[in-house]
Amino acid sequence: MSIQFKSITELRAMLNDKSISSSELIQESINLAKRYKALNCFVTMNEEISAKKASSIDLNEKTNSPLSGIPLAQKDLFCTEGLRTTCSSKILSNFIPPYTATTVKKLEDAGSITIGKTNMDEFAMGSSNETSFFGNVHNPWRKGYVPGGSSGGSAAAVAAGIVPAATGTDTGGSIRQPAAHCGITGLKPTYGRVSRWGMIAFASSLDQAGPLARTAEDCAILLNTMSGHDLKDTTSLNIEVPDFLSKLNESIKGLKIGIIKEFNLSDLDEEVQARFEESKKVFEKLGAEFVDVSLPNISASVPTYYSIAPAECSSNLSRFDGVRFGHRAQDTDDLNDLYIKSRSEGFGDEVKRRILIGTYALSAGYYDAYYKKAQQVRRLIKNDFDHVFESVDILMTPTSPSTAFEFGSKGTQNPVELYLEDLFTISSNLAGLPAISIPHGQVNSLPVGLQLIGNFLREDQLLNVAHIFQQNTEFHLAKPNMENFK
Amino acid sequence: MDQETVRTICYLARLEIDKEKSEKIQHDLETIIELIGSLQNIDTSNAEPLFSPLEMTAFKHEDIENSDNRKDKFLENSAASNEDYFLVPRVVE
Repeated sequence: MSIQFKSITELRAMLNDKSISSSELIQESINLAKRYKALNCFVTMNEEISAKKASSIDLNEKTNSPLSGIPLAQKDLFCTEGLRTTCSSKILSNFIPPYTATTVKKLEDAGSITIGKTNMDEFAMGSSNETSFFGNVHNPWRKGYVPGGSSGGSAAAVAAGIVPAATGTDTGGSIRQPAAHCGITGLKPTYGRVSRWGMIAFASSLDQAGPLARTAEDCAILLNTMSGHDLKDTTSLNIEVPDFLSKLNESIKGLKIGIIKEFNLSDLDEEVQARFEESKKVFEKLGAEFVDVSLPNISASVPTYYSIAPAECSSNLSRFDGVRFGHRAQDTDDLNDLYIKSRSEGFGDEVKRRILIGTYALSAGYYDAYYKKAQQVRRLIKNDFDHVFESVDILMTPTSPSTAFEFGSKGTQNPVELYLEDLFTISSNLAGLPAISIPHGQVNSLPVGLQLIGNFLREDQLLNVAHIFQQNTEFHLAKPNMENFK
Repeated sequence: MDQETVRTICYLARLEIDKEKSEKIQHDLETIIELIGSLQNIDTSNAEPLFSPLEMTAFKHEDIENSDNRKDKFLENSAASNEDYFLVPRVVE
């Protein structure tokens, strides 16, 4: 029986009734990755170690963990001891981490098996996966189209049915937007819910790790394992983690869903609007109520983000100097020349652009006007969210203004064009709120995503609402035709 | 913004931009600065900056001694090292 397109829950059942062994499952998953190599969703495979781990699980099979023996892919931004971790950048193309990120360690300790590291926008800076040093990832739904970004390789690997789930990180929409473009489910948890230790930092006050999977139920399984306090991350929340799986299947009758007035949805493609209206009807049938709400400052999210994120990036990426790890330029005159040449050869254009913007925003004379100002506007945006969550339970928006687009068709002349892709997703990063994207139909045979934003630490509610939607619709069951990628 | 400013920012960031790309970078930076400059129209006179969504003091943990010395592993990732140090071009004449 094929394992392609199976969820974690389905694979668990197959392992439990012994219709497949873990070794067979892992081998099959790796075979799928090889068969669809043309997708370019993996940067590095972990074949030998995966086979060994699977064989060990088969020999000592008594386990209660739902993830035991399940193949997963990890975004190539999580450090993995002994396994190359590149952040899809030339500057880290030979980096072998001496430690493993807490999130990956937790998933592996629960028995899951990392079959490989997935392609991404370089240092997670991008919304189309076109900034990777290792080349573009194709969208499984259409060759030559972007999978979204930055967690594009993870989203494509799940959408193609190679793995049931993968990890991603989300700084301004990098889990949700690729999940939307690839027709899968992706969750950005509350800031602080999941440890950031061992994640290569882009913007430390915005970055958060989360799951990409075929269903909200599988996201709940993964979040149960990924969440929790970590002494190694000083921004990790020291609070009890609920069992997200046990909170699924609660009635959503009376649920109040806010629609944000400032997002003028009538400007969107008519078909994108139509899917949105259809999903509203699904929720209404299930007993939810819609309320128009106002977040007066939310339109400032994109400029706020593009001041704060590059500022944090320019600081975080100063560690890449060619001395202790990563690419080092040859033939340098002195230490300063070594820094300049190593960084200039190692970083791609988008990363350089963001470092320069951040350097400018933080430089003497501009700090107050750009960086501090953006942090003040961020306060106003968060206050707006605090205010609306007094009257509604969740907020609903499209995940992205459009469907996946053709390689090279956006942002090449004007980078801001691509930045606007993040319009609906960025504000929850600024405010630290959890948000999920679920598939809710197609436009021109390409998937579109629906975003639900929850209140602080209410992933349980988001996952439940998404799960109920998926129990009453079949959008998440749609599969791409993979014949073009063989 | 002019080419001189671009050169200054590049130096601060320890980056070198090819001459043929320098004008494009200047144009890109101007476009992005214009985007973030739009924030000036928002009244933030009563808003404290929000540097982190958690707004909590970073917690402290016990300073636990660890004898796990993995110097070799860390040095392995450097393009140039000896058995104790990372090596760089001479900085003292």
